[in-house]
Amino acid sequence: MNKAKTIALIAGFFFFFLALLVQGVLPYLMKPMRGENYLSVTRSVRTGLGELVDVKAETVPVTDQLITRGRKIYIREGCWYCHSQYTRPVAGEERRWGPASEVGEYSYDLPHLFGTRRIGPDLIRVGGKYGDDWHAAHFFDPRGVVPDSIMPKFPWLFIKEGERFVPNEDGKAVVAYVQNLGMSKGKWRDLFPYQSVQAGSASFGTAASVEHGKAVYLRRCFGCHGEKGDGKGASPASVLFGIAQPRDFTAGVFKFRMTPTGSLPLDSDLYRTITAGIRGTAMPPWFNLSEQDRWDVIHYIKTFSPDFKNFPPEPPITIPRPPKSTPELIAQGKKVFDDMKCWECHGSAGKGDGPKSDTLKDDFGDRIPPANFTKGMFKSGSRPEDIFRTFMTGLSGTPMPSFSDSFTSPDDGWALTYFVLSLSADGRP
Amino acid sequence: MSSENNLVNNTIVKQWLMWGFVWAILAPAFGIILSLKFNYPDFLSNEYLHFGRLRPLHTNGVIFGVFSTLFLGLVYYMVPKLTGIRMYKEEWSPYALWLWNGALIAGFAGILLGYNKGLEVDELPAVISMGLVASLLIITYQVFMTIARRKEEKIYVSLWYTIAALVWTDLNLVFGNLVIPHIMPGVSNAALHGLYLHYVVGLWITPGGLAIIYFFLPAAARSPLYSHKLSLIGFWSLAFFYPFVGIHHYLFSPIPAWTQTVAIFASMMLIIPVWTVVTNFYGTLKGGAWSAFQTDFTVKLLIFGAAMYFIGSTQGSVEALRSLQVPTHFTDFVIAHSHATVFGGYVIFVLAACYYVWPRVAGGAFNRTTAQWSTWMIMLGISSMIAILVLQGLIQGTELMAGAEFVDSIVTMKPYWFIRTVTGVTMDIGVALVGINLYASSRKPAGRPHE
Repeated sequence: MNKAKTIALIAGFFFFFLALLVQGVLPYLMKPMRGENYLSVTRSVRTGLGELVDVKAETVPVTDQLITRGRKIYIREGCWYCHSQYTRPVAGEERRWGPASEVGEYSYDLPHLFGTRRIGPDLIRVGGKYGDDWHAAHFFDPRGVVPDSIMPKFPWLFIKEGERFVPNEDGKAVVAYVQNLGMSKGKWRDLFPYQSVQAGSASFGTAASVEHGKAVYLRRCFGCHGEKGDGKGASPASVLFGIAQPRDFTAGVFKFRMTPTGSLPLDSDLYRTITAGIRGTAMPPWFNLSEQDRWDVIHYIKTFSPDFKNFPPEPPITIPRPPKSTPELIAQGKKVFDDMKCWECHGSAGKGDGPKSDTLKDDFGDRIPPANFTKGMFKSGSRPEDIFRTFMTGLSGTPMPSFSDSFTSPDDGWALTYFVLSLSADGRP
Repeated sequence: MSSENNLVNNTIVKQWLMWGFVWAILAPAFGIILSLKFNYPDFLSNEYLHFGRLRPLHTNGVIFGVFSTLFLGLVYYMVPKLTGIRMYKEEWSPYALWLWNGALIAGFAGILLGYNKGLEVDELPAVISMGLVASLLIITYQVFMTIARRKEEKIYVSLWYTIAALVWTDLNLVFGNLVIPHIMPGVSNAALHGLYLHYVVGLWITPGGLAIIYFFLPAAARSPLYSHKLSLIGFWSLAFFYPFVGIHHYLFSPIPAWTQTVAIFASMMLIIPVWTVVTNFYGTLKGGAWSAFQTDFTVKLLIFGAAMYFIGSTQGSVEALRSLQVPTHFTDFVIAHSHATVFGGYVIFVLAACYYVWPRVAGGAFNRTTAQWSTWMIMLGISSMIAILVLQGLIQGTELMAGAEFVDSIVTMKPYWFIRTVTGVTMDIGVALVGINLYASSRKPAGRPHE
């Protein structure tokens, strides 16, 4: 019996607890012993001057009922078997998904959801990458949005409302949870270099590039924009897109341009939109596609409207280097905001709730709510140059006009830019 | 032989093995359904049977269903043989049997209905896992008391492994179910769970499987164990190093880097127990015993399993290295490792032992042609599955490192996944045939006894 006892005590008990102590408990105790903090995370915040800075911050527990409910559903449905929730500083993952994981991001995760397998992509950087509409369409029928996806459909997270499906309470909760993943790192995406581009003004389209572009379109764009490019794909036909409808390419109207109002966009404008996506809407960023794919799909998209052949784009505006933001510039911006009556649509606090906000419609007859600046999500990008561009060229097809002729001094545009950016300030400089 | 046979309670061994055969049909079948979903995502996909709900049934089904049920049944055969006395408190055995299998059925139903704890290989609801623990405690107590009253002076190495496996797993299941889900959130929770995860494979399946081959290989080949000294080195190096490896599941994560390094070091040191025990098994057949490899299905499968154990475990050690994890982690390379070891090694060990035990406890002779087919299907199926999964992992890993869009790497995988399904079907039919063949053999009037 002695030998059996030895085995049970030394091998069974002692080695078990030794490893548990060294590998499990000791690392837990060591950080505080060295004066470090488990809650610490690098967060990108916008200052009162409208600029982005990285600060060391502490994470706080998630209290939103919808998000905590979403996490439970995420666990129940076993999403974590195929989607890991940590990115590594190797294998190009910082380019593919974003900054590598930090200890503070997980402070309150119980159970942890690191995961050991990626049959689908990692999700810790997914928050804010896609719009709520995209997630809803994707949960309803993943292959509607991503034809090559092998994710299961989750129709039991939806109810039918009129013609189309909308997420039920469970569905809304999962979307809210996924959109909150990685959010303790703040506005890191606005500083993510791979998602913002400054490209040349044109590329050459050939028959071969259009052909290749069509192949790209049929694998990536088709589900929302439809076979004919009219924005009537299978996804918006089955799930209600509550934020914005997919662009109808046949109309030849494009919002985000360096060219004057009424002109078609440059290829580089489309390239920028495809690369960065349209924040908050169902249009994802495609920075992981090869440059060739992105250029070629542009040549294919241009075949949907004859305008591209008949009306070449007008010369683009030039955007000077933005000045440094100052409190005086912000104050000037506030004055411009009031004088130009931006508040009529966007509201006096920039919340998108101005007196005219309920009545606005775009050229396609769809309701279009004015941007809520306090959310800090800007459709065509959040760099000062992006905001400035919108003031100078307007958003064709929408009630947002160009103000290029209205600014009284050259600084007015930049002042308004920084003022608008400062409305989403969530950190001190 | 007949007087020895009086030591074993044939009925209880038979019942455990029967349950094992049932799980051996179900759990791999879940695997096939899951595998088909990679190519046909809408196949059997509904609220209760979609991938996320079904996957834990496959993993838990193989670990706690197929392997554990067969292993525990074999413990009831092995321990009396090695101690020279009947099992202590035999009348308790049926409670352990029904608790174990009842808990598994309830737990699996629970998972399908959405009761999932969110920790891999730790999904079963805690209440239900306590049923497993209760069953295991009964068996632990029986085994300990039997060993305490044994007639044989020496304790054979199979008993060491059995003792250690039972103690470790009693502790680990309590730890995994009552402790991990409630303490130390965040990265520390991942570290603890990494330990639990590898305690299941390292401190339950590995020692259990090795106990089986250490007993049944010399018995079936009628050849003494090659070296008791090697078995000593193998046991203690496993017992010391294996508990430390768990965090190699989370390399490059925010878990402190030095704990990751400790886990990598321990993983590499596991080459010692793996290579020593494999040497011991092949050494056992030295001399005339190799002929048994051709004639005896137990020896054939055990020796094949030992080769798989060698390949899979060595792959496991190497894949803990940071440089190899960069491309291969999160890919099918890891799935190749888990199938090579858990199925290729340990499940094949316990199936091999069934060929030895079943005719002795149930009587009758099994159909050798069916056994031949089944053995070849198992061997071909698992070998080709591992080859294809390793290849897949390397292809997808390097494709992603080269910057491919994620879904493009999925497209690359699809034809390989289909081949994987074919290999899986092959080996699963082989596995099902083992149980069906043995069960059918004992229903016929007893013919010529096996061997």
